[in-house]
Amino acid sequence: MEAIRVQDLSKTFRVRQKEKGLKGSIRSVLHPRSEEIRAVDEVSFTVEEGEILAFIGPNGAGKSTTIKMLTGILYPDGGKLEVLGIDPTKRRKELAYQIGTVFGQKEQLWTHLTPYDNFRFFGAIYDIPEKETEARIKELGELFELGAFINTPVRGLSLGQRMRCEFAASLIHKPKVLFLDEPTIGLDPVVKETIRSLIKQMNRQLHTTIFLTSHDVGDIEKLCERIIIINAGSVVMDDSMEHLKDIHTSGMSLENMIVEIYKAEGRTVSV
Amino acid sequence: MLTAVKNQLWVCLLSVKYNIMREMTNRFTFVTNIVFMMLNNAAFIVQWVILFKMRGEIGGYTMREIMLLWGLTASSYGLSHILFARAFTLHELIVNGKLDAYLVLPKSVLLSVMTSASEASSIGDFLYGLVVMCLFCFSVGRLFLFLLFTVTGALIMTALALLAGSLSFWFVRSEMVGVHVVNTMISFSTYPDGIFHGTARFLLYFVIPVGMAVYWPVHVMVSFDLAMFLKVVGYTVFLMAAAVYVFYRGLKRYSSGNLMEARM
Repeated sequence: MEAIRVQDLSKTFRVRQKEKGLKGSIRSVLHPRSEEIRAVDEVSFTVEEGEILAFIGPNGAGKSTTIKMLTGILYPDGGKLEVLGIDPTKRRKELAYQIGTVFGQKEQLWTHLTPYDNFRFFGAIYDIPEKETEARIKELGELFELGAFINTPVRGLSLGQRMRCEFAASLIHKPKVLFLDEPTIGLDPVVKETIRSLIKQMNRQLHTTIFLTSHDVGDIEKLCERIIIINAGSVVMDDSMEHLKDIHTSGMSLENMIVEIYKAEGRTVSV
Repeated sequence: MLTAVKNQLWVCLLSVKYNIMREMTNRFTFVTNIVFMMLNNAAFIVQWVILFKMRGEIGGYTMREIMLLWGLTASSYGLSHILFARAFTLHELIVNGKLDAYLVLPKSVLLSVMTSASEASSIGDFLYGLVVMCLFCFSVGRLFLFLLFTVTGALIMTALALLAGSLSFWFVRSEMVGVHVVNTMISFSTYPDGIFHGTARFLLYFVIPVGMAVYWPVHVMVSFDLAMFLKVVGYTVFLMAAAVYVFYRGLKRYSSGNLMEARM
């Protein structure tokens, strides 16, 4: 069964343009100019339930914009999208109960609170009864090994500890789909490995669908079954990791292959 | 439906509780913020005592009404900034793409945003208003009305801040409009409305709604008038509904952002 269905999804941003210097500023007040940037251009794909998908592309390719439309943060300009059969633009709150998000560059936790208090707060946000929240905190605390710092304010934690807490918070309500936007950014190799094995474990045990964007080839290689590459707002490749690994053995590393595909901007690449 | 409302209110209460816990991280700063805000507000009493020694009445107000005016303004401002401080810096969240964290949660975006910050000094404002009311013109009925109008006043101020802040969905650098509108409202709400005539009076009742937030409530507290009372309540509901509508219309234009950030 499909967990995500996207058809001809598009998003355009209007960006103000200004000439350099004071004269440019004055001119832009009198004659404002703006440019339209097509961040996502008629993108279509589906993701099956329980699949781990890498959705990658160079900076500015439209990855984050797509993920933000799928999670209900941004409104698309065109196309159709459904996550777990729900349209995020129409039933955002209903969808939010069933998905989890981890944005590596944006914290969701309150930094002055302890992870424990944060989890309790998230439990209330997802309408989970107190007893159930406690049991879930215990379960996640063991899974992510949070015991040593669960009562330390988040602002006093290391980046690795914080990311483990971010993951735990995003899983408090047992989401069916987990959106991960650069979840291992800035982490050391040991913590990266821990996070990856936890994602894998979660996918195996709970059949959680994982939608991952990352610039880290290690994340993609070790976690994903399928890879979609997006460039200049369009899908340029959609293939299985198995097929890519076959090519990989023929001499080219996965990283080099991805770089080659990135360079072929805007064109559909077949491998 | 009822459970959903109950759960939403519970999350809002928890949010405010955590905000106050954050403000209390440094106990000394927390207490001094409150005490000095009360003293700062009290300093203005001297100015009015001197003025009333020179004239028995200003703009139809005696010292008692002026104190009610000051008390209601302080308490309304205080309550709005204890519960909904983030509404007054909404533009910053919109411009810097910081609404993402609220949009992925299964609760009202607007309520989650509004209740995500509190100002410790506002507790001083709120308490100051109550103390002034009790010292200068206490009666049980008046206290009840005072508390009710503190809520309507706080909602009017918040709605105005939301309307002004939501402009940032459409216009770049529009934040100053919001700051000016709210500051103008606060400034005018500390003078008796009897001194304003013509255009100024029209503006104060219909453009910057000081009249509905403070002047009419003071009149009702001095001499109860049911029609005026209902108009204040009705106007509050109308302005809040307009603010909610404009915010959600604007939210469709929200463009997020890629700044690295932490929820402080």
